[in-house]
Amino acid sequence: MDPNGDGSFRAEGVTKVFNGSLRANDAITLHVEPGEVYGLLGPNGAGKSTLVKQVIGLLKPTEGRITLGPFDLVEDPAVARQLCSYLPQAQMPIESFKTREAIRLTGRIRGGDGATVDRRTDELIEALDLLEWRDVVGAKLSGGVKRLVGFSMVSVWPGRVVILDEPTNDVDPLRRRLLWDEVRRLGEWGSAVFLVTHNVMEAEKSVDRLAIIADGRLIAEGTPSSLKAQDRSFLRLQLMLVPGAETPALPPFVSHHTRVGHNLVTTIGQTDASHAIGWAQEQIGIGVAEEYALGATTLEDVYIRLTGHVSSDDGEG
Amino acid sequence: MAVTAELAERTPRRPPWLHAYSTMTRWDLAGLRLQLPLIVVVQILAGVGFVLGIGLFFDRIPAPVALYVSTGVVVLNLTLVGLIVGPQITADQKFAGTYEYLRALPVPATAAALAWFSVALIASLPAAVVSLVVAELRYAISFSITPSIVPAVLLTAFTGTMLGYALSHAIDDPMRTRLIAQMLVFFVFGFSPILYPASQQPPWLATISWWLPFEHMATIVRAGLTTGIVSGIGTSYLNVAIWGLVATALSARALARRP
Repeated sequence: MDPNGDGSFRAEGVTKVFNGSLRANDAITLHVEPGEVYGLLGPNGAGKSTLVKQVIGLLKPTEGRITLGPFDLVEDPAVARQLCSYLPQAQMPIESFKTREAIRLTGRIRGGDGATVDRRTDELIEALDLLEWRDVVGAKLSGGVKRLVGFSMVSVWPGRVVILDEPTNDVDPLRRRLLWDEVRRLGEWGSAVFLVTHNVMEAEKSVDRLAIIADGRLIAEGTPSSLKAQDRSFLRLQLMLVPGAETPALPPFVSHHTRVGHNLVTTIGQTDASHAIGWAQEQIGIGVAEEYALGATTLEDVYIRLTGHVSSDDGEG
Repeated sequence: MAVTAELAERTPRRPPWLHAYSTMTRWDLAGLRLQLPLIVVVQILAGVGFVLGIGLFFDRIPAPVALYVSTGVVVLNLTLVGLIVGPQITADQKFAGTYEYLRALPVPATAAALAWFSVALIASLPAAVVSLVVAELRYAISFSITPSIVPAVLLTAFTGTMLGYALSHAIDDPMRTRLIAQMLVFFVFGFSPILYPASQQPPWLATISWWLPFEHMATIVRAGLTTGIVSGIGTSYLNVAIWGLVATALSARALARRP
């Protein structure tokens, strides 16, 4: 059952077909080791949620196996629920719960003993800087704080697999950093953490490895740097266009481009750098662009090249 | 390694059933904290409203009629939360996207269902008691309460709650759940022989009523609160129990389903 004896999470050839024809997951194979933070990236509708729902036992794969160490999560959904903690993208149903109560009670429901859960609850409230809302009910919390309470509910007594679907939504930049520290700590506890997101910038900074999923298939997998390595001979040339300007005609050395608002992002070969600068300055000169930036390609560029989509928080940094 | 040691310590242990039941009951109670007082008040107003309202229709209410109506009101009080509030809450969870989170908690379905039943019962009992007390004061009647009231109340509330539970979980579309639950309540309040005898219904409707559980809920509750005004108690217990079991089986199947 667990040939490697390492307690890893494994999905092998997971395929989910809806209504006889729609392949929401197509032969997805991946493994995540205990302690690893693993990103699941992909545009909306790529099949990320379908995969997650099969892991936590709400959907049954049409084909394939999902295992955690010696446990078969498909065969035994009750064990799957025991082993996996899940933070959904939606806000937690805690309108009438006080912050501390919600975290504590979930820890107890998940099977944690009272004393440890109490300690861990207070630890999380402090670590995520939630003290001022400790005894405030969910209905009175802002979206970002509620998100952090949701994260705490999931990680107070974490499963061996922790699935976080867009955990940083609405969270302010300062507390985001605190949240990532706590995600890291889940790894130290030995949990395999799945980070489901379409925010590539954030994933690049916080995951050990990641998979890019598009149209139900896993189209790339590796560490952020190994994925970027494939694009190492390319550079990113970014043009801030004058508001209202049409996308200018692109020179032949531009291998790929996307436009979001006034922001035109192009990929060029390293050897074309000087031509590219000349072209960009020309665009400023004729009043099409306001400024430009030339730099190394980012994971975002890899993502765009592979999926044809721009990630959600593009431009936000 | 430290990490491996931690991991070994957290080898999945299924928490005992009683632990799951008690923590889920606390979860449901806390989740209803804002609405619970309101639910109890609305229930009391509805129950007392029926009890006093009937006295406004006629000059004089004979004692047997007063007994009949007020014991029927207890059934309305016992089933309202399970039949309509339960499906409403689940529909809201589905709309808000939190339904799947709750389904993914490591809690046996039986523990979650019984926890909700307990909470529905807690929310129903005060109104049932107040309705009876008000009826006693208003119509100068007295109930002859027997121990059989305990199983009658428990079974009636259980079947009502489980019918609502089945509507919540066996129907995917929350909009449809909401609609059916509301229609059901109109049917139960208006067209079920709970407050009046089935003999006053047209024969075809009386036949339908006989196969449904609501008339029989009234019979078993009445049997626990009065003497000599109901018969066929065994059949009624059987009917309500079968409906309770069917609703439980439908809920269990829906909750175990993995499309």
